[in-house]
Amino acid sequence: MDDKKAAILSEIPRLRRYARSLLRDRDSADDLVQDCLERALLRLDNWQTGESPRRWLFTIMHHLFIDQMRKVNRRGEAAILPLEAGEAQAAPADQVETIASREIMDALQAISPDRRAALVMVAIEGFSYAEAANILGVPAGTLMSRIARGREELRGLLEDTSRRRSIRIVEK
Amino acid sequence: MTRRDFSERDIHMALDGELPGEERMAYDAWLEANPEMKARSARYIADRAAMRAAFAGVIDEPVPARLRQVVFGEMPAKAPAWRSRWWLSAAAAVVLALGGFGGYVAGIDSASRGGDGDDKLAEQAIAAHVIYAAEKRHAVEVPASDKDHLQTWLSNRVGLKLVAPDLAAEGFELIGGRLLPAGEQGKAAMLLYEDAKGERISLFVTAESSATSKGTYTAEGGGPEAVYWLDKGYACAVVGSLPPERLSDVAKSAYGQLLAGISS
Repeated sequence: MDDKKAAILSEIPRLRRYARSLLRDRDSADDLVQDCLERALLRLDNWQTGESPRRWLFTIMHHLFIDQMRKVNRRGEAAILPLEAGEAQAAPADQVETIASREIMDALQAISPDRRAALVMVAIEGFSYAEAANILGVPAGTLMSRIARGREELRGLLEDTSRRRSIRIVEK
Repeated sequence: MTRRDFSERDIHMALDGELPGEERMAYDAWLEANPEMKARSARYIADRAAMRAAFAGVIDEPVPARLRQVVFGEMPAKAPAWRSRWWLSAAAAVVLALGGFGGYVAGIDSASRGGDGDDKLAEQAIAAHVIYAAEKRHAVEVPASDKDHLQTWLSNRVGLKLVAPDLAAEGFELIGGRLLPAGEQGKAAMLLYEDAKGERISLFVTAESSATSKGTYTAEGGGPEAVYWLDKGYACAVVGSLPPERLSDVAKSAYGQLLAGISS
């Protein structure tokens, strides 16, 4: 039992990173991790001993995330969070972000939650396509198309930002 | 060496380490021969590096005490619902964006929003309550003394059969009601009630296609709570700053009477 808890504890930094990339805001991300841990501890029996808890925990957290984001998303979240949202949604003061980091975090928030999760799972968390498809509960083909679309969308948003920035400089 | 045609899809696979090893050389040769694809690959590689760098610091942050406590069984007391807090800030961000970029949003939002929206319902109901329940003289457009007209007027505008529930058993008297916008095209009825101590609650009713849902909602920063339900084409929310059990009792009574009103 205590081995299990120790194993779960060691996954927290990665869960927090994943949550942060999904939600951006530190407190909200930690709230999501907390919900995930609480649910995991209630279902310790579902976790096969000997198996890495990582996939199990990521699966739980992803379900919590996607269930709620679907509701938010139906209200047009993806469409109404243009890059300027980052300016309205100030980053916490204790979080030192470079401009490049802030831009990529904002852009990531602006793509659809499904694509964001797929892309982050593979590009940041380093899961294989097979693992990520399993965690997200989608066929490999769907995962691949989400990753490809996500990357394209992210790139487009980043290009818009730099274009807008250069326009602003010209205007000044 | 295997010969096959590569495509953009392979750029992603190569980047994600999913390209079979024996295809790697042929892929690299293809990339060299296609400057546009090579440039695209380079941009994606740079974006990935930026993404990793942006979140790299999180791994080294100390684990917050509240998360350690969960694992070691000292669960901090909190609301039973899983849908507790974190996603509300995501919702709040949406509202923030809505407010700040209303013009930009107006055109897009109507196209992308689906039928269901219980959180949105709750947010609208709370917003209306915060504004109008605080009004002393102009809280309502039609006073309770004109109840029949109020019910007919709001029913016609909202497009739903609407009765103003009698909440006297719960200690609340109807003050009156008003018509409000809901969503992009919709209209909502707001009925305001007051108890002997001057505490006010409101009932917010609008038409909602076919969704079925119920729950409670409070904005993250606190403030009034909404008990809402979506059923039988009605989307309703009771909003107030009452103890949760009392608000829930009021909501049950209102719900029952609205339902009875439909079939009467």
